[in-house]
Amino acid sequence: MAIGLIHYLALAAALFLVGMAGVTIRRNSLIMLMSIEIMLCAVNIVFAAYSRVHGDLSGHVFVMMNFAVAAAEAAIGLAILVEIHRLRRTVNVDELKTLME
Amino acid sequence: METVLFYLFGAMTLGGAVMTVASRSAVVSAVWLVFAFVSAAGIFALLAAPFLAILQILIYAGAIMVLFLFVIMMLQGPVLPAERERRGLPKLLVLAAPAAAIAVIVIGWLARRGVTAFDGPPVEAGTAARVAELLLNRYLLAFELISVVLLVAIIGALALGRREEDRPWR
Amino acid sequence: MDTHAVETALRWIVLVPLCGAAVNGLLVRRMPRRAAGLLGCGTVAVSFVLSVRLFMRLLDLAPAERVLEDTVATWVAMGRLTIDIGFVMDPLGAVMALVVTGVGLLIHIYSLGYMAHDEGFNRFFAYMNLFIFAMLTLVLGENLVMLFVGWEGVGLCSYLLISFWFGDEANAAAGKKAFIVNRVGDFGFLLGMLVIGVTLLPHLAPGEGLFSFQTLAEHAPLLAPAATLIGLLLFFGATGKSAQIPLYIWLPDAMAGPTPVSALIHAATMVTAGVYMIARLNFVYVLSPTAMLVVAIVGGATALFAATIALTQNDIKKVLAYSTVSQLGYMMLACGVGAFGVGIFHLMTHAFFKALLFLGSGSVIHAMSDEQDMRLMGGLRRKMPLTWPTFVVGTLALAGVFPFAGFFSKDEILWKAFSGGGVWLWLLGFLGAGLTAFYMMRLVSLTFLGRNRASEDVKHHIHESPATMTAPLVILAVLSLAGGWIGIPHFMGGSNHFEHWLEPVFHHEVVVAGDHGAHGTSHDIGHDAHGETATAGHAAHAPAGGHDHAAEEAMEWTLASASLAWALLGLLLGWWVYAKRASIAERWQSLAGGVPYRVLLNKYYVDEAYEASLIRPGHALSEKVLWKSVDVGLIDGLMVNGSALAVAILSSVLRLFQNGSLRFYVYVFSTGLFVFMLYFTLSA
Repeated sequence: MAIGLIHYLALAAALFLVGMAGVTIRRNSLIMLMSIEIMLCAVNIVFAAYSRVHGDLSGHVFVMMNFAVAAAEAAIGLAILVEIHRLRRTVNVDELKTLME
Repeated sequence: METVLFYLFGAMTLGGAVMTVASRSAVVSAVWLVFAFVSAAGIFALLAAPFLAILQILIYAGAIMVLFLFVIMMLQGPVLPAERERRGLPKLLVLAAPAAAIAVIVIGWLARRGVTAFDGPPVEAGTAARVAELLLNRYLLAFELISVVLLVAIIGALALGRREEDRPWR
Repeated sequence: MDTHAVETALRWIVLVPLCGAAVNGLLVRRMPRRAAGLLGCGTVAVSFVLSVRLFMRLLDLAPAERVLEDTVATWVAMGRLTIDIGFVMDPLGAVMALVVTGVGLLIHIYSLGYMAHDEGFNRFFAYMNLFIFAMLTLVLGENLVMLFVGWEGVGLCSYLLISFWFGDEANAAAGKKAFIVNRVGDFGFLLGMLVIGVTLLPHLAPGEGLFSFQTLAEHAPLLAPAATLIGLLLFFGATGKSAQIPLYIWLPDAMAGPTPVSALIHAATMVTAGVYMIARLNFVYVLSPTAMLVVAIVGGATALFAATIALTQNDIKKVLAYSTVSQLGYMMLACGVGAFGVGIFHLMTHAFFKALLFLGSGSVIHAMSDEQDMRLMGGLRRKMPLTWPTFVVGTLALAGVFPFAGFFSKDEILWKAFSGGGVWLWLLGFLGAGLTAFYMMRLVSLTFLGRNRASEDVKHHIHESPATMTAPLVILAVLSLAGGWIGIPHFMGGSNHFEHWLEPVFHHEVVVAGDHGAHGTSHDIGHDAHGETATAGHAAHAPAGGHDHAAEEAMEWTLASASLAWALLGLLLGWWVYAKRASIAERWQSLAGGVPYRVLLNKYYVDEAYEASLIRPGHALSEKVLWKSVDVGLIDGLMVNGSALAVAILSSVLRLFQNGSLRFYVYVFSTGLFVFMLYFTLSA
């Protein structure tokens, strides 16, 4: 069976799901961040796939924007995590709740 | 050929992602993620986006994951404490709803369009030259804005990274 | 609608005492005593003078036109329902106003002396003035609603004045009892008004006052189908206010108030409101022979019933209280047989001599250092040279001895009962009259005759009362003697001015119930048996169809003589037993195992019966059901606390969504997102 758009989309969907699972299930905030990166990657695949379908490279441009944003977000996120670790000595998201006891 | 490669790279990406999420220790997760990203680069290559593939490896696997590893090492110390017994919702149950939703979407798509291959060979490959052309002409504004985003990110990271005593603000 | 003469002074008769009450009431702590007393008496005096003036004005008018109106404002104007605030004075209103203000004035003056040493002197006069205001509203109101406002107002003042010395729990309880029992009656009254309103409203022209007496009189035939119901319901209210069976129970307890209060409210004026109401609405009552029969029977029964209780009471005021209940029964009896004018006549004479008796008893109590038990009195005639003779005058008037006032009015009632209602009603009244004479003589003997049985301290203090107290006594004594002379009936050669005066108010044909058919069918009230008309001044005897003239007159003479003889017998017997041979009284008390005596002494245990059958169940209902179950359980528990609990439960459920857990938020967020996508996919 030849590979078509749907294959790539299914892959991206599955990847996105995995990323979401990681965010939901893991309590370690570093791993949560990584799971977010996985989700972003899934999105990239979708853009690239559609770019292939339409023959328009604008999708590629957007993927590059995505790279940049992901990098920025990872940097800031990690900086924040470092700061929190300094204060609370933990990165366990469950322990970072002050809303409800 | 393309089929085989697709399934190979796809499995590697997906597997790497799953292992990332499933690993007990953060370092192991990070390494698996590197693996996943490299495989994703392969997917990009299959999609006639060579430039993107290279960038993926350079930026994601090369820069971002290195950053992750640095921070993990800094925060977790030599011995990584394993997470304790998980309470709360059982993991798989949690995924049931979204998974079902996505499955329905995909199946719906399939039902309507059927499995179709790409129409033909790629119209054009996503070479650096071609992408650059687009980036610097049509999407120039976006390009500039993105650089501002990166600048802000740098400043932010620097600000957050300072030690307590060095901060001029309180 | 007829237009009548307008007289704006009418409102001032009513309002001046209100001003007095307001000033005395608001400045109660700052008014000096003399000023408060002066103001209190002054306002009533002003009302009295105005009443006399308006009475004279009425005399100048032709008999058919004797109505003075004063509409102050419109109270309710909703579509077809119009109720005005207004006053009206016709002959009936004039009589009532004069009695209320005149006797009221005398009692106010008496109170200057009686309450002189009381702490609440100013408050007393404020309440008394307020009462006069309410009573005048009642009698001068131009519609049934004004009457009812006054009705409730006098009830309120009665409560305030009975529990005047509210520091003592018993007094407060008496006040409550009076008000609550009256309220029960008022419920019937309101229902009666409701029936009138519902029956009449569809037939009114716009602007016609619904409850205005004029309107009611004009549309009386429309009320005929509901007349029995209306009559009975309103009468139920009257049994409360005028202390008839079954709602008389508050009046004896009301003696807890100061004696002037007992004289004014519970003898002369407030309790007569029921009689006035029935007389005022005579045109409704005559439409229902059934209602009138009920009124007559209840009145007659009460007259006899209360008289039997009065035989045994030892408290001087209680005797007078039951006597009042009994005399009110006579007034009701008169109205019940259609003789409304006679009922009012007795109302007036009774006001004179009963007020006199109460004020006299107040003088006695005052002299006896607040002792009210007659067993501890005696021989007071020697030490109270003004109280003693005036009291005797009052007794003779009450007993119905010629030529005192009570003779004429009571005798007329008995005659009307006989001729209009039949032998049994007459018999109730006749027996009661004898008992009345007997127990009054008992009272006089125990109090004034014989040796004084009080303790030494009390004996030393016995003195005649000051002039402000004895002067009213003398005036009332004169009225008790001469007051009946304006009503001397025709068969005795008089011209019965009083009844002719009241005729225009009562000029209806009446169908009277009773077993004397020959006398019963068509009997003009306001005329005596000889069918005289109003315009004929004097004793022109025009025979009205079918009456045997001479035989009737002979019957009247017979009955009058019988009443007189019977009354004298009662007086004699009372004097003999209680002044001469006290041992007879003791033997009577132990007759039949002492049971009859104890039953009478305990007032037939009526209060106890009410307590057991109505009050305790009511109390239990209030406490167990309404309080515990409904108030605490249902309202507090289910509704108030329950709704709070519901909110708490709901919010604790909703709170689970805000647990601060990032992962949870992401999950919910993304799941929602997927659901949306699903929706869009499926709908496409």
